Amino acid sequence: MTRLIAKLDVKPPYVVKPVHFEGLRKIGNPSELAKKYYDQGADELFYIDIVSSLYQREILFDGIEKVANELFIPFAAGGGVKSIDDFSKMFHMGADKVVINTHAIQENPDIIDKAAKIFGSQAVVVNIEAKRWKSNWECYTDCGRIQSQKDVLDWVKEAEQRGAGEILLQSVDMDGRCRGFDTELASEVVSITGVPVVVSSGAGSLKDIKELIEIASPSGVAIASLLHYDRENIQSIKKYLNNKNDSVT
Amino acid sequence: MNNIIGIVNYGIAGNIHSVKKAIEQAGGNTLVVNKPSDFDLIDKLVIPGVGSFKDAMQVLEYDNFISPLQEFNKPILGICLGMQIMADLGFEFGKTKGLGLIDAEVKPILCDGKIPHMGFNRINIKTPNILLDGVENEEFYFMHSYEMVNYTNIAALTKYNNHSFVSAIHKGNLYGVQFHPEKSREAGIKLLSNFIKLKE
Repeated sequence: MTRLIAKLDVKPPYVVKPVHFEGLRKIGNPSELAKKYYDQGADELFYIDIVSSLYQREILFDGIEKVANELFIPFAAGGGVKSIDDFSKMFHMGADKVVINTHAIQENPDIIDKAAKIFGSQAVVVNIEAKRWKSNWECYTDCGRIQSQKDVLDWVKEAEQRGAGEILLQSVDMDGRCRGFDTELASEVVSITGVPVVVSSGAGSLKDIKELIEIASPSGVAIASLLHYDRENIQSIKKYLNNKNDSVT
Repeated sequence: MNNIIGIVNYGIAGNIHSVKKAIEQAGGNTLVVNKPSDFDLIDKLVIPGVGSFKDAMQVLEYDNFISPLQEFNKPILGICLGMQIMADLGFEFGKTKGLGLIDAEVKPILCDGKIPHMGFNRINIKTPNILLDGVENEEFYFMHSYEMVNYTNIAALTKYNNHSFVSAIHKGNLYGVQFHPEKSREAGIKLLSNFIKLKE
């Protein structure tokens, strides 16, 4: 049962779509898109304010609350989370899970332990922006801008040990290109961790999604461009996967 | 009676926002319960749940909610952690005493699948009750690393990676669900409307 997740990359007040995490294209209004994907049958929704960390500004909670109000499915929100107070505010705005990357890598990995202890592991999602480097992958932060010198596989294990309940795995190399996923990265990460992995970055066709599921068996697939440009919708993806893959419902 | 559904506000996690919204969507009137005297104003109670067993019990104790919860003689619906803390004991971050309303213990899920168990899954009703009326074949959203171990009050079971666990309990006025009805689309709203319509 692979979860199909709609992912909104947000540069408030708009949903945008970067290519390789750069060159933002304006897509639309976050709450309207959230409602649209909810109505299509999305299992979950991810909302990432992709410029909050980069611009080093406060999180804009209003936008998050508006999106949460449209949904009766799980909602993960992130972007610029720096404190336990930020986690708490996100939950109060209606998020069920909070996504963290930059602050945990650059400043304070202990925030993962602390958040997991207070809110439960299931509510703490570690976002990984992976970029290929030689035969490995390196973690990036600030929306794919800043190198961390942390190895992706090491960081996945560390995040799990610290109490992360889910990994959102994005690929800086593949994101927004719609040419398929980095299935090798996805397989490696899924195989070394005991927590669910949601794989994002690269869905360009139904076949790409099916291939990812067959090769890497992720717990979830997060999709952005394919939905934003109406090339497919959640129903058409589910229908395709149901016909082609019995493990998906 | 006015049929006011109270929602216990406890802890800094509190996903009461989504629970409140879903109950209202299901046609219910809600009141957020912030202090023990609020228990006098409500006809039913929902214990939502995000967080860990230990933190939840500590906050309930700090806010003097323990005895009002134990003495509440009207219908209670516990959601996820809200169901789990009805048990005698929890094993999340050490051993913690629960509300002791259900003869059960809360332990980590032991199976080969990825933990937390996250995603939509079916429930298999063992003992039908009004709460689960009309949702027999529906899927609900689960998001948990711990499960309630109970043998006497099982309303429904769910299978995850060939591991069966308790997904709903029922004992008199007490109802509990391991999944999140407020995150389970129309099926969840239906379940909440069953709770709203429930007669004592």
